[in-house]
Amino acid sequence: MFEAREMMVFYENMIALNNVSINAPDAKIIGIFGSNSAGKSTLMYALSGIILDIKKKEEMRGGERISVFGRLFLNGDDVTNLKPHLRAKKGIVLCPERRRIFPESSVMENLKIGAYLSSRLDTKNNIDYVLNLFPRLKDHLNRQGGFLSGGEQQMLAIGRALMANPTVLLLDEPLMGLSPAYMDIVVKGTKEIRDTKGITIIVTEQYARPVIPIIDYGYILENGSAVLEGTGEELLNNPDVKSAYFGV
Amino acid sequence: MDEIVKEEIEGNVEIIIYGIINSIILSLMALGFTLVYSIARVPNFAHGALYITTGYITWILLNKLTGFPYPLAIAIAICVTAVIGALIYRFILIRVRGMEISEIIATYAIGLAILEGLRWGGLRGGTFTLPPFISGSVQLFGVSVDYQRLLIVGIGIVTFACLYLFTHFNRVGLALRGIAQDERAAMMLGIDSDMTAIVSLAIGSGLAGFAAILLLPLGNIIVEVGYNVLIFAIAVCVIGGLGSWGGTILASFIIGFAQILTEAFLSTHYQMVVALFAIIITLLIKPSGIFGKQKELEERV
Repeated sequence: MFEAREMMVFYENMIALNNVSINAPDAKIIGIFGSNSAGKSTLMYALSGIILDIKKKEEMRGGERISVFGRLFLNGDDVTNLKPHLRAKKGIVLCPERRRIFPESSVMENLKIGAYLSSRLDTKNNIDYVLNLFPRLKDHLNRQGGFLSGGEQQMLAIGRALMANPTVLLLDEPLMGLSPAYMDIVVKGTKEIRDTKGITIIVTEQYARPVIPIIDYGYILENGSAVLEGTGEELLNNPDVKSAYFGV
Repeated sequence: MDEIVKEEIEGNVEIIIYGIINSIILSLMALGFTLVYSIARVPNFAHGALYITTGYITWILLNKLTGFPYPLAIAIAICVTAVIGALIYRFILIRVRGMEISEIIATYAIGLAILEGLRWGGLRGGTFTLPPFISGSVQLFGVSVDYQRLLIVGIGIVTFACLYLFTHFNRVGLALRGIAQDERAAMMLGIDSDMTAIVSLAIGSGLAGFAAILLLPLGNIIVEVGYNVLIFAIAVCVIGGLGSWGGTILASFIIGFAQILTEAFLSTHYQMVVALFAIIITLLIKPSGIFGKQKELEERV
């Protein structure tokens, strides 16, 4: 059970997240939908703790003032003030927007770097698991990450995050810029991760249609606030949502 | 007639052999600097000071405590330097991380303080020397080379190999490379960026010390060497592309041979000019260095 209570994030005086509460029960997929600048990435940064690092760097530079409020709980433990690497240790792993794979390392090395927290045996099992989940990666094991196509990079990014043995996997816009074929692979892979590993997955996306069939519960963000929530079906049948997010 | 041809061949062989030796020496000097820059993104301008510190600590252990074993002195000196490097990050650089100018000022100030402190504390004159590991020399294709220089080449190559293996097959080494390529992405995978920076500074400083132990027996331990080492390290790194390992080694060979050639055909005291001139040319033609590889890849993606 991963729980965010009343998260608020300000960049200077601009509110990026307004009182967003999210409940992610074990082994469920939670969808977060919203347009550009709705606060999806900020929410992901807040959940994964990256916002604390951004805040620290900005403070050192004398740049933007960032304020974060609200509390985060993982299985009842307060993780609000944990640094990103410690959150990853607890099992909250972010697969970031635009993938951010290590461009100069090979596919295999990317996976191995992801396995920093895992034991040797886990690493071996996880590599097998990832290559089974995304067999296409097998053909490129020795290729540099930077030379993969967007879809392959996305598969690698998800695989790399899985190597860290997450209990909560945060996927930030995993379908961005992918072809429909790759979208399908990534969506199916996401579902399989939940079903076979029992990992809680929180996925954000602008274009909700491909993701909505696999989610157990969803939220819709607008200007930093969660304006609507419900199961996939409820969201799908809501007339406002339909016109705004599904292009019907 | 035959005599002249023979001499010419010997001259060429000498240029090649000493060129290789000089190149490896340069890359050893630059290795620690590159490592720290590529991982922690900190230009460690205290590099030369750490180099001299290691030599001086070894000298003190050997000469103030009679009968102190040489290998133990070396090990202690390198460890002390590594700890100094780690402490520099832990207490000073951690506060200015990410602000390049402050990092340069801070590390340069530390380097200056150490070097001038040593000078003030008595590191003056030509009496400070370390003994070579094995004295004597050998004829190689008709060129006389001393054992210390041969050892430098051998140990240098082994060091490169060890570093390669460490960063490609060791868990911590891989984490270092992850941080070097994308700090935040690595953080999300559970890698602590401050810890890796401390480790990289410790290893980088240790490498500076290691180079000092290998190279100082060729000359005297004097403060000026600290400044020269820093300049050579920066020259090699700028030409090879900051933070690029392959570039560092290639650039060492370019400058190394250029120096030996100027020495053979012009004069010995142009060595520093060659290094600085190479920096200027690089900055004019390809500012990111020979292997400005990271940028090219980013553009592709």
